[in-house]
Amino acid sequence: MSAITLKNVIKKYGAVQVVHGVDLDIDEGEFVVLLGPSGCGKTTTLRMVAGLEDVSGGELSIGGQVVNNVAPKDRGVAMVFQNYALYPHMTVKKNMEFALRPLKLDKAEVDKRINDTAAILGLGELLERRPVQLSGGQRQRVAMGRAMVRTPDVFLFDEPLSNLDAKLRTQVRWEIGKLHQRLGTTVLYVTHDQVEAMTLADKVVIMRDGYVEQVGTPEEVYTAPQSTFVATFIGSPSMNMIEAKVVAERLEANGFSMPLPDRFQGKVTEGQAVTIGVRPIEIKRVAASSTGAMQANVEVTEYLGNEALLDLRVGPHELVAEVPADQRVEPGKVIHIALNEGAIHLFDTVSGRTLSE
Amino acid sequence: MTRNLRQNILVYALLAVVLIVFMTPIYLIVSSSVKPSPIMFQKPPAFLFTPTFEHYHDLFAMRPFTKFIWNSLIVALGSTAFSLTIGSLAAYAISRIRHKRMNDVAFWILSMRMFPPIAVVVPYYIIFKSAGLLDTPLALIIVYSTANIPLTVWLMKGFFDEVPLALEEAAAVDGYGLLATFWYVTLPLAAPGLAVSAVFCFIFSWNEFLFALMLTGSEAQTATVAVMSFWSSDAVQWGRIMAGSFIILIPGVIFVLTCQRWLVRGLTMGSVK
Repeated sequence: MSAITLKNVIKKYGAVQVVHGVDLDIDEGEFVVLLGPSGCGKTTTLRMVAGLEDVSGGELSIGGQVVNNVAPKDRGVAMVFQNYALYPHMTVKKNMEFALRPLKLDKAEVDKRINDTAAILGLGELLERRPVQLSGGQRQRVAMGRAMVRTPDVFLFDEPLSNLDAKLRTQVRWEIGKLHQRLGTTVLYVTHDQVEAMTLADKVVIMRDGYVEQVGTPEEVYTAPQSTFVATFIGSPSMNMIEAKVVAERLEANGFSMPLPDRFQGKVTEGQAVTIGVRPIEIKRVAASSTGAMQANVEVTEYLGNEALLDLRVGPHELVAEVPADQRVEPGKVIHIALNEGAIHLFDTVSGRTLSE
Repeated sequence: MTRNLRQNILVYALLAVVLIVFMTPIYLIVSSSVKPSPIMFQKPPAFLFTPTFEHYHDLFAMRPFTKFIWNSLIVALGSTAFSLTIGSLAAYAISRIRHKRMNDVAFWILSMRMFPPIAVVVPYYIIFKSAGLLDTPLALIIVYSTANIPLTVWLMKGFFDEVPLALEEAAAVDGYGLLATFWYVTLPLAAPGLAVSAVFCFIFSWNEFLFALMLTGSEAQTATVAVMSFWSSDAVQWGRIMAGSFIILIPGVIFVLTCQRWLVRGLTMGSVK
């Protein structure tokens, strides 16, 4: 049985529709990440699952029950808010107790749960403190603790790491992953950070302008992006996009030409406008004499330690190549590059959808 | 003399002036209340004299002054409690419900405070007379609340606006309904607003004179009216008036000091980043 099911779920504010018919199945114990840029409807979708926003259309079920008109308190979900939303007039312990009170447990069970959770999250020392006396990372852990003590069926996370500094973010991300492995609770997690999505998710749901662009495992969305949006959104630095035309079994772009790889035969038509997508790591430096070599001007070089990013100009096209650090070149130099044909993606320019399938 | 010292002297001098302006009436009340009648209006005023408690004694012996104090307390506390209950619930609704006419509603409530009291004394008198409420504490509680509720609504709305919505959402997800969330989360965080409102409501109700004079008789008379009854056409008994005034001062001071511990800033700090 699915833990959460969305069937054509819609959200409207007056006449403005912000979520357009989202379909999603989340299995029991699955870690699902809603990923997308700000304003893509991911937080609104999460808030609809939590019951903090009304569902304007479609059907939302949790644990097999349609919950469109069920109050948040009766949905069996716990949520970690972006800004933590700790009750400032209560100590850490009281914050957790408060979350447990509606469950009407006996005192021993309440204490046990709080102490267990505090032990898991390392909050033991902080139980008598108030939120104002905690650091950002500690507040974050308390917010998670408050959600965990209730042992809910579903955890909802709304960009839980966005207020932490980079180092702490990595650490807490790791802790969240570990917690999920340990508790096995279903998680719906919203973020705009692809690293969080890729590292934590069993399934990534990429959203844009209120539509679901693609649902898949982290590997699927990285290796087989279904649209130019997903292709450029996932991966850092972004995938290079080159607009081209299919001419006589070749991909022709201004100042740029390559044979149409065999796997796209029959999937494109002569004269079709296509977009070639190639990840920076799939652009190699080659000798000037090798087949398919293209001349490129190096405009900027960014040294990153192990590797370097080269901002290249090929005719009118700007490309980024990721090369081993020892292969980097000074800006202003001219080099020769070739695209790894086996790794290029092809999209229909008009629809933006993939031609790889 | 350093610049700092000069500044300090100036500040203290100003403070002294302010203190004198505020404390002189209090000094006059206290000293006159224990001054023997014969030297009450002596010129220059007598600063040194043997204090007497005859005025206090007369106050309670000649009139049921204890009863009037009780009336005042019942009316002031009653109106304060009623106004805080209704006012904070109304303020919460105005603060949270998004509706294009909400500002009009808020303004309409505020406008209740704009009428001059003297203009409605007679209508009130007629209404309470026909309702059989003349000379009852309930009449004064109702009248004072019509002035106190708008004030509370406007004060509390500001405090509720400051309570982050995310906290209420957290409580909703944690399993609390609307009223429980209000009671356990929102209201405690607006406690300073409650304290300020309580002080204003209590002081207004405690000090009010005009309505109390017109709407009460011997039964529900409040202390302020009772004190003025020593001012009659044949004599003004200043000693008793001053003794009564001093007693009237005390509950207000106690009430304000009690509320003061809630007047703290930054209650919501640490809740949301």
